[in-house]
Amino acid sequence: MFCEKAIELIRELQRNSEGQLPAFNEDGLRQILQEMEALYEQNQADVNKAKSAARSDLIPSIKLRHCCLLRNQRCIMAYLYDRLLRIRALRWEYGSVLPANVRFHMSAEEVQWFSQYKKSLASFMRSLGGGAGLDITQDMKPPKSLYIQVRCLKDHGEFEIDDGTVILLKKNSQHFLPRWKCEQLIRQGVLEHVVS
Amino acid sequence: ENESMSDSLSDDCVSQEEDVMTPAELISKLEEAWLNEKFSPELLENRSEVVECVMEQLTHMESNLQRVKKGDAKASVHRMEIDRIRFVLSSYLRSRLQKIEKFFPHVLEKEKSRAEGQPSLLSPEEFAFAKEYYANTETYLKAVALKRMPPNLQAVDLLKAVPEPCLDSFVFLQVKERQENIFVEPETDDQREYVVDLEEGSQHLMRYRTIAPLVYSGAVQLI
Amino acid sequence: MTSLSTPRCFWLVRFAARETAMDPSEVEFLAEKQLVKIIPNFSLDKIYLIGGDLGPFNPGLPVEVPVWLALNLKQRQKCRIIPPDWMDVEKLEEMRELERKEDAFTPVPSPHYMELTKLLLNHASDNIPKADEIRTLVKDIWDTRIAKLRLSADSFISQQEAHAQLDNLTLMEINTVREFLLDSLNCMYKLRSNLQPGSRKGQLTDY
Repeated sequence: MFCEKAIELIRELQRNSEGQLPAFNEDGLRQILQEMEALYEQNQADVNKAKSAARSDLIPSIKLRHCCLLRNQRCIMAYLYDRLLRIRALRWEYGSVLPANVRFHMSAEEVQWFSQYKKSLASFMRSLGGGAGLDITQDMKPPKSLYIQVRCLKDHGEFEIDDGTVILLKKNSQHFLPRWKCEQLIRQGVLEHVVS
Repeated sequence: ENESMSDSLSDDCVSQEEDVMTPAELISKLEEAWLNEKFSPELLENRSEVVECVMEQLTHMESNLQRVKKGDAKASVHRMEIDRIRFVLSSYLRSRLQKIEKFFPHVLEKEKSRAEGQPSLLSPEEFAFAKEYYANTETYLKAVALKRMPPNLQAVDLLKAVPEPCLDSFVFLQVKERQENIFVEPETDDQREYVVDLEEGSQHLMRYRTIAPLVYSGAVQLI
Repeated sequence: MTSLSTPRCFWLVRFAARETAMDPSEVEFLAEKQLVKIIPNFSLDKIYLIGGDLGPFNPGLPVEVPVWLALNLKQRQKCRIIPPDWMDVEKLEEMRELERKEDAFTPVPSPHYMELTKLLLNHASDNIPKADEIRTLVKDIWDTRIAKLRLSADSFISQQEAHAQLDNLTLMEINTVREFLLDSLNCMYKLRSNLQPGSRKGQLTDY
């Protein structure tokens, strides 16, 4: 039946929840485009027959093929566009360097789109405040002025907190530090939050 | 010593407005704009003046903090405040960018068909970003799919393809200036339309479309 | 004419939730602007913040500061926090009784009563007399109100109302039902408008 491949593409995305990017289905895309070409050629032929040989009985099938062509176009557009949205979301989640396993699932053209998007975004952020610039991909959560107890998991040297005091992060040392300042180091595995 | 940190907190910035705004009022305006933009289904008018002024305040304060002695007790307090303001500003700009991307053909169309003298929907930076986003996406779709399709299907009208904001979405709002006779459209065919008065300080849940002008004028605050 | 929305518009629904969403941490962020009295144990002359002036600070003398600063100072053992007037067992018991009795939402002690209770009790419970009782009372008030809110929300949807007045509801309470309520209402609207032929441009005949 016509348009089945198109629905399969859509289903592929539905199966993969938000935030996940399945591999780019070049084969699926090509098959749909081939189907479109075939439908179009059949329609061209029938349209000529209908005109020259007054075959108005061909009109319903011409209309049907036209509907299928439009549906295929729509599904392809939706598939491609939804993937762009997922890729865009990844910039905001992971930063400007995407994890290798994600890049692997992107087509060359998607990589190109992403590269252009990054550039646009960077240029926008740089131009904020009359050129002063502001990285709006940071500060994703409200800041907390709270302190937490942390233990140092590995030597990290000197660490400056806001009022100028410098802490020495030596392996196994414990400290009472501003939470927001620790968050990155906790993510990096340098510090560990001690919950008493 | 603290004078240096706060002296002339960009006085020229806040007094450019006709009604002179204090820095505290400026931050209030930013927070109001943040909430409105967050909860409105459509992109609201740009508030570049507020954004620029806030950034000036932040930059000024940051540079003061650089000059300050180590161990200064006030430094951490200033820094906490800067972080709070920066969060609201970033979140506000992110909200706008998200909507610009979501509605990109419509946002650009609105900007194009804007009459002379009408305030701009997009800041100059946002306008540049929106145009690039449009071009990037259109180029991509053409290259990957459209140009491989039959001749009569190679064009896509992005204005028709990308959905418009749904102005009939419901929103929560708080009334800042009393409004009378606000029209409420019925939800079903067997209901009748009616009007409500919005008392100052009251809170309501209703469709965005009717109260959109009130958001613009500042008579209501989305919450 | 084509549409980029898939036959079932699944990506549209996804995007919508994120945009109109407010995280509880953002509500708490706003609550932290509320002023609270502290007794500092240090000296500091006035601080000129962008958002207003604070202090001066003198040991033993009460001074008002925003909650975000009070919590920070408390954690660094630089002050004692004085609970707000309403954070009192007798007063809260009265409020609880009233809330349980009335069908409507009664006026709240503070537009951020829930967040402030949580923040102050989590980080300064030693400064709050009968902290455990306070915690329980506030939770009871919250639970009663949320239960009323859920009923109102259900009724609003099933009666297909077009407008509701919600004075006395706090931002945190509204935020609890926000996503569910708005998504339901907007979904219903889309379903209803799709039933009307030719009603919306762009949302057109599916192929």
